[in-house]
Formats: sequence, C-alpha cells, structure tokens
Amino acid sequence: MLIVLSLLGFMLIIWLEAPGLVKKKMWRELVAFSVFLAIGIALSIPQLLGIRPFEPNAPIEALFKPMAEWLKEP
Amino acid sequence: MLEGGKIDSKQAILLMVAMVLPTAFLSVAAVTASLAKQDGWISILLATLGALLIAWLAVSLGLRFPEKTLFQFPEVILGKWPGKVVAFLYIWWYIHLNVEVLRQYGSFLVAAFMPETPISVFMLLIMAIAAYAVRNGLEVYSRVNELILPLILVSVVILNILAAPEMSMKRLLPVFEHGAVPIIKGAVMPTAWMGEIVTMAVLIPYLNKAKEAYRIAITATLIAGFFMLITQLADVAIFGPVTAAWLFPGLDAARVIHLANFLERLEPVVMVIWVAGVMIKISVFYWAAALGSAQWLELKDYKPLVLPVGVIIYALSIMAHDSLLDLFAFLGMFWGPYALTLFIVGMPLLLLVVAVIRGQGGSRH
Repeated sequence: MLIVLSLLGFMLIIWLEAPGLVKKKMWRELVAFSVFLAIGIALSIPQLLGIRPFEPNAPIEALFKPMAEWLKEP
Repeated sequence: MLEGGKIDSKQAILLMVAMVLPTAFLSVAAVTASLAKQDGWISILLATLGALLIAWLAVSLGLRFPEKTLFQFPEVILGKWPGKVVAFLYIWWYIHLNVEVLRQYGSFLVAAFMPETPISVFMLLIMAIAAYAVRNGLEVYSRVNELILPLILVSVVILNILAAPEMSMKRLLPVFEHGAVPIIKGAVMPTAWMGEIVTMAVLIPYLNKAKEAYRIAITATLIAGFFMLITQLADVAIFGPVTAAWLFPGLDAARVIHLANFLERLEPVVMVIWVAGVMIKISVFYWAAALGSAQWLELKDYKPLVLPVGVIIYALSIMAHDSLLDLFAFLGMFWGPYALTLFIVGMPLLLLVVAVIRGQGGSRH
C-alpha cells in the first residue's frame, strides 16, 4: 500500500517537473533532475520494503569517536 | 545568476536568526546542562563569542567573492577539482543538517504531542511546505519569515516572563563548581548551533547591500545568542542541573506555567514556535542544498532540483536514526565536533588562508 502511494508520489514529482524541462530543452537540468530523483528513489524503496540499507551516520560516528568520548567523560 | 531574488539587510538578519533559534530554544538547555550543569549560561556566552569569530570568518571569506556563493568560490581558490570536492562536501553538509533538523522536528511532535501518529506524516508535511517555499525562492520565504520570527521571539519572551514565579536564581549557584573544562565542553554544541551562520557565505551574493554583511552576521549572532542565553537561564532557574534529564526543557518550562488558576498548559505556544520556526529553518538549508547542487553542476536553474533533493533528505531522515535517544546521542556528542571541525571552522579557515596567501578576491567594494 505504502509502496504504491510512494510510487504515485514519485510519478507526481516527475509529472510536475519533467514536461517543463523538456519543453524548454533544458537537457542538462533534466539529467541532473533524473539522477537526483533516482538517488532519492533508491534510498526510499528499500525502506518501504522494511530494509535499512545503511546507516548514514555510522562513518561520522566512527571518525569522531575520540572527540565525542572526550566530550562525554566527566 | 541562479537565484534572482535579493533581500535587504533586515530580512537577512531575521533570516539568520530564524535559522539558528527555533531548534535551539527547545533543547539547548538540556545539551549544555548535561555537560556544564548550572554553569551552562557561561557556555552560551563562550559559544556566542566563538560564533562571532565564525561569523567574521564566513563574511570575510564571502566578501572576497561577492558575486559567488560558498559552492562556487572554492573552485577559484583551490583550483577546479579540489574546489569541487569542498563544494560537494558543503552540499552534503546542508543535506545532512536538514536530515537532522527534520528528524528532530518529527521526533518532538511525536514524543510531546501526538504519540500515535507515525513520524513520517509530520516530516512529509513540513517537507512539502518547505519545498513549496524553496521553489518560490529566497525572497518569498524571507518575507514569510519577517512575519513569523517576531512572533516567535515575542512568544519566547512572554513564556519566560510567565514562568518567572517558578524560577529561583539560587539554582544557578555555585558558579564554577567543576572548573572551566565542563563549561568549555558545554560550549561545543551551542557553538555548532550558532556557527550555522557560515550560511552567510551562501547568502552574500543575494544581499542588496553586500557591504553590510558584517553587520548582518554580527547582529544576527548577538540576537540568537541573547535568546539562547535567556532560555538557558530560565530553564536552569526553573529546574536546576536536572535540566539535563529533560529532552525538551523549553517545553517543560512552558508546562510549569501556572498563573492565577486559569493561565496554564501553554504548550501549544511552544508547538507554534516549533512548527513555524522549523519550517523556516528547513527552508533555508533546503534552499542552500538545492542551490548548491545546481551551482555545483553549473545548471541554469535550481528549481528542478528542489523536489528530488527533498526526496533524498526525507529518505535519509527516516533512515538516519532508529530512535529518539539515538538522535539525541548523535546530536549531543557527535554533531558538535563533526560540524565544527569540518564545515564551520575547518574548511572556511582553510579557504580564507589560501585565498589570502594567493591574494585572490579581495575586491571588496
């Protein structure tokens, strides 16, 4: 159900933006739009299926662990 | 230029305040109190000083290239590819900033007001409104902010005045109980908060009087610092060092208001501050992310990218944390060092030093 709604949402976004870009022949913008939207969809679909593809904050937490520990210790 | 709008100095000041304050109002006291206990207000003073230096840094950098934004001038300073990398990191930072703010927004509404509603509903609604605001451009949401921010500031002041009977300045004593180190640690997160003023480096090309950028950044930082200070003092004077245990001390301070048996339960005021303020905050960073992406790819218009960038922010925001506590642990411990070392101090300082050594820009007037 949710996945159908999300797909409708993505279609709405394409319907809102893409025709105008094609009409104005802004191909570079159309490619950028498609790539960004594809990244967004690729991040969304696994979550709709109940999978968390990766933890965006994990590398940051690993990198800044020493400083965070310094902050934490009383 | 990509963004056609221009805003005047007053609008810019209000925008820079609205970008810092709404989220800080609710939870700054908890963050500083957990590290600096009752001395949190000294941390806020330190943080304001730090933020003033950051504001000076960002504006000095931005004014060297008054026609270019933070996403364009790294290329001039560092050369094409290293500059692109720096600009890309900034785009990521603005997206990440928005991811965390959006998650905080939803978490607050779910935790404090509507626990039965899925968090994604609140996040989707505010993103839709922010996307509409950003598509309409800088000028439009700056004007909306001219209406919203005074309302927020007045509400904050009124809430603090009404809560005054519950306050006791004794709870702020003893000063310097644990020495200077906890106070400095407590200042890290508020500095990262107010350090979001680096956004001035994105805004300068869109000011109608770029020369006033120093005044704008300094005034905005002082206003934000002042309101953070009174919030911090009020919250700690009400709850004492226990403030650290609350997730949203700003909300709990409104809950204790109880005047003459009829003026009580003022939490909806806090909710208004939160929803309206965060809408502006999200719009500013969302605009910066979309504009930055378009400038990075050298497009003619940033508007087509607004919705796709929103989808990315929304998806990452749901993915980023599995619980409220995870969110707060990340923001309280990791966000400060991460944002400060890389984006707020590190890279602007590097850019400024290289620009000064190479003698680039500098055509100030």
